[in-house]
Amino acid sequence: MRRVRLFWRSVYDVRPGEGMRTLFMCLHMFFVLFAYYILKPVSQALFLNKFDIDQLPYLYILIAIVGGMLAYAYTAVAVRSSLTAAVNWSTAITVACLLALWWMLRFNFDWMLYVFNVWVSLFSIVTVSQAWLVSANVFNSREAKRLYGLLGLSALSGAAVGGEVTASLAHVLEAHDLLLVTAAVILPAYACVRVVAAQKDVNLSAVRAGEADEEFAFKDIVSGIRRHRHLQVIMAIITITYIVDIMVQFQFSAMAKAAFRNPKDLTAFLASFYGLYLNVINFTMQFFLTAVIVRYLGVGGTLQILPVMVAVTSSIVMFVPRLGAAAAMRLSEAATRYTFNRTGMELLYLPLPTDLKNRTKAFVDIFMDRFGRGLGGMVLVAYTTLIEKDPKHPNFTRISVIITSIAICWILLSARAGREYMATIRRRLESRRLDFEGARIAVAGAETVALLEKTLQEGAPRQAAYALGLLADVPGYDLGPRVDALVRHASAECRTKAYEVAAAIRYAGLVEPASRALESPGEVHEQRAAVAYLLAVSPEGPVTASWVERAAADADAGRRALSAYAVGLSAQDRSGALRRLLDDRDPLVASAACRSAGLIGDRLYFEQVVHRLADHAVRGAAIESLAMYGARVCGSLGDILSDRNASLAVRRRIPRVLRLIPDQRSIDVLIGSLGAPDPAIRMAVLKALNRLRKSAPRLLFPAPPINQHILNEVTECFHLHAQLAPLRAAAPPRVASALLVRTLESRVRQSMERLFRLLGLRYSPDEIYNAYLALQSGNPERVTPAHDYLDSLLEREIKRLILPLLDSPDRLSTHARDLLRIEPKSLETAVRELLLSGDSWLAMCAIASAAELKLRGLAADIARAGEHAGEETVAVARAAAAALA
Amino acid sequence: MAELNIVEKVIALEGVDLLSGLQPDQLARIASIATEVRHAPGKVVLDPTKPLDALFVVLDGAVSLAKDGVEIHTAGQNDVLGAWALFDSEAMPVTATTIEDTRLLRISRDDFYELLSDNVEITATVFATLVKRFRKLVGQ
Repeated sequence: MRRVRLFWRSVYDVRPGEGMRTLFMCLHMFFVLFAYYILKPVSQALFLNKFDIDQLPYLYILIAIVGGMLAYAYTAVAVRSSLTAAVNWSTAITVACLLALWWMLRFNFDWMLYVFNVWVSLFSIVTVSQAWLVSANVFNSREAKRLYGLLGLSALSGAAVGGEVTASLAHVLEAHDLLLVTAAVILPAYACVRVVAAQKDVNLSAVRAGEADEEFAFKDIVSGIRRHRHLQVIMAIITITYIVDIMVQFQFSAMAKAAFRNPKDLTAFLASFYGLYLNVINFTMQFFLTAVIVRYLGVGGTLQILPVMVAVTSSIVMFVPRLGAAAAMRLSEAATRYTFNRTGMELLYLPLPTDLKNRTKAFVDIFMDRFGRGLGGMVLVAYTTLIEKDPKHPNFTRISVIITSIAICWILLSARAGREYMATIRRRLESRRLDFEGARIAVAGAETVALLEKTLQEGAPRQAAYALGLLADVPGYDLGPRVDALVRHASAECRTKAYEVAAAIRYAGLVEPASRALESPGEVHEQRAAVAYLLAVSPEGPVTASWVERAAADADAGRRALSAYAVGLSAQDRSGALRRLLDDRDPLVASAACRSAGLIGDRLYFEQVVHRLADHAVRGAAIESLAMYGARVCGSLGDILSDRNASLAVRRRIPRVLRLIPDQRSIDVLIGSLGAPDPAIRMAVLKALNRLRKSAPRLLFPAPPINQHILNEVTECFHLHAQLAPLRAAAPPRVASALLVRTLESRVRQSMERLFRLLGLRYSPDEIYNAYLALQSGNPERVTPAHDYLDSLLEREIKRLILPLLDSPDRLSTHARDLLRIEPKSLETAVRELLLSGDSWLAMCAIASAAELKLRGLAADIARAGEHAGEETVAVARAAAAALA
Repeated sequence: MAELNIVEKVIALEGVDLLSGLQPDQLARIASIATEVRHAPGKVVLDPTKPLDALFVVLDGAVSLAKDGVEIHTAGQNDVLGAWALFDSEAMPVTATTIEDTRLLRISRDDFYELLSDNVEITATVFATLVKRFRKLVGQ
């Protein structure tokens, strides 16, 4: 009964909130495969009826080359468009193509059958892969592991129904009329995607129709293949798989053509064969056998099944060259390839570095299988033209001998692949860079599991903990005994992992050791993991409100921090201890309390958490906590940010909170504070806006206020240049005046940075940043293109101000006068302006410089500047007055 | 001699290699935590038996640096003593003793850390300077 229940759950485990998405994705899959399994037999049957069998290899080559090019072109367009746009356009184009093909096929042009077959191969890539891409963006990887079985079942049902409908209609309708049926099936498939796209939490328009990991460069792939023997083996297996696939398909098609003289019978046979028989066998193997096979035979063994099946069945065809034997060979070859071999190949990729894996898979999806099929086509052309005396009636026994020979090489290669897999997985396990969670497959090889179990028992603590984490991702694995063993491990890291995994799988066997860990002094992470575990599996105790209250009053800071942590995990403060803990002197306790306040999200704690922004030891947790409150506190944060009576230390950190809240209210508050007098706040506000522009590009950044701040910044920059010019020209650099020059130069750089940050809010942030870096480099080869770029990008009004600012220094004073009426300044005027600027550091440097440069005309200004200033300015003013006296 | 004002302290700190990447107003923030100390000849400033807790910049005067009783260097104006004290409390294997009336600028490690925690851009610049030093050492 348990087995039945487990099996049922492996097929149907739809959780609350997933129903609509799952239902309509399943229907979408059903209709897409329904359509494909009308097109596939019809296109093949039409070709076989029209041409002699010796033309078939040429069609394979054509599909490999033209189909590959079209698929690549589609990907190139897809990576630039959203998934919604790609689905809309591909549906419209598919329906239009189907109607056009239906109309053209009636004229019986030979070449149309080549076009039709190539188009069907493209349909399978675009529509079927697009359906899986939509699924990948509708479900996260954990949901995918549960629901992909159901989706696969729907796809399979669609294929079977499509095949049977075609088999029935083939006798009633003309073959080309079935294209109209396909068009009618495509429309409900499209409607289903629209329903899915309208669901909450689904945003297909923000997703690229070509996955980012499809971006690759041949150079990278070649260097990857050179460096990784594992990858070389994968490539070789893929190539050989598709060469054999093409040869088996050829042999089967030739025998089918010879067996069915009536075109309608051939269409019906191919439809039933591919649609119903093949898919039913696929289903049976995938659901009942794949996991078992992989578990018992491991990756190497699983990969050997396909070549062994091919070798055995082709040997049978060698002696019994009849359609039944060829059909059995084709069925076993295709079914094994779709099930065991596909899973084995997925696992074979697993230990590769993620980046390389993504790039390689993209390369394989687009090129490698086509390369193999094209090569298979060429082998057949060579065979039929060079060896076969009568190419129109090939000798099936001879072809079987070739297939068997290739299959034997393939068996040896698969064994090698298994060894490479284990060697790579061992290396990756040692460096703890193995990722099972990212893999969208639901099985793990026997040898991998054995290796993980061995690492768990004998490995170093860190590796053992890591191995347990990986075992937790192996579907159906009984973790209970493993966590029981690991919780007794000498290493705290292992015990921590045991609690984490036990909490995740709701395993109740660790309550006793966890309770003990809570009461005895121990490592902080272990104690936290124990608290989290106890709250997850045993909410009635021992972590109760009274325990929290006791721990919160404990003299030991570690226990107080633990009680704060427990409050956050239980998402409520029944003991009322959290307010006290938020004011705790110990930064660890206060940090834990801040995080818990954020998790609870009660306004009651808001002010206390804000207050903690001033404390550098607690600041990180306070920022995190306030961000957890979300957009509802943006207004309150904005009030504090603009409140000049509030602590400067707190105000300067508020932009760091707002940048973590990707909401329009954050943008509005930050834009409103762009003109803050404190330069540190201004810069923090700009940095936060820049971050939000990148992390939440859908938010609106209103142009008018940003343009105004750009103008203000340009003006400030020209002013600084005007003040710098006479100082640079002044007598030999003395210490204080040189310091003033350096300070002004640094202010100019800061102003330029703010200016480009503002531009990054109006234009592409990355491109503006690159232009900024190029300008900063001072290298003419980089500066000139950056100028040209800004010249072509910026709006006229902004360009009119910014480009002159980038001109050579000797032209700046002219531009300042012409554009902003800023007149050139004398040395005395410049220093006077600076000492009255209100910027305390600039004022102090200016006062010291005035004394050094003997600017006696500024004595009164220096005295005035010293009157209302801070202690440090007074000291500098006093020294300057003495020097000028 | 009057105590240094903040501008003069910044000018003195500009000579510290570790702080060479900082902008003048960032140096001003460090200057605000730097205190001036005066010592008569014979005062031990760095003791190899005691952990370091501050960096010193020689404003004027002279400090003898000796290892195992043998003088290895005399530090003068703008020289820095115990630069690594800002990152490591381990005692230096040298004894630094004033050999004339000496004025020093003292930056304590605790104050420096406090300042870094509030000024991430200073932290980044100091790290960058350290990385440059390491690269240079590795290059050698």
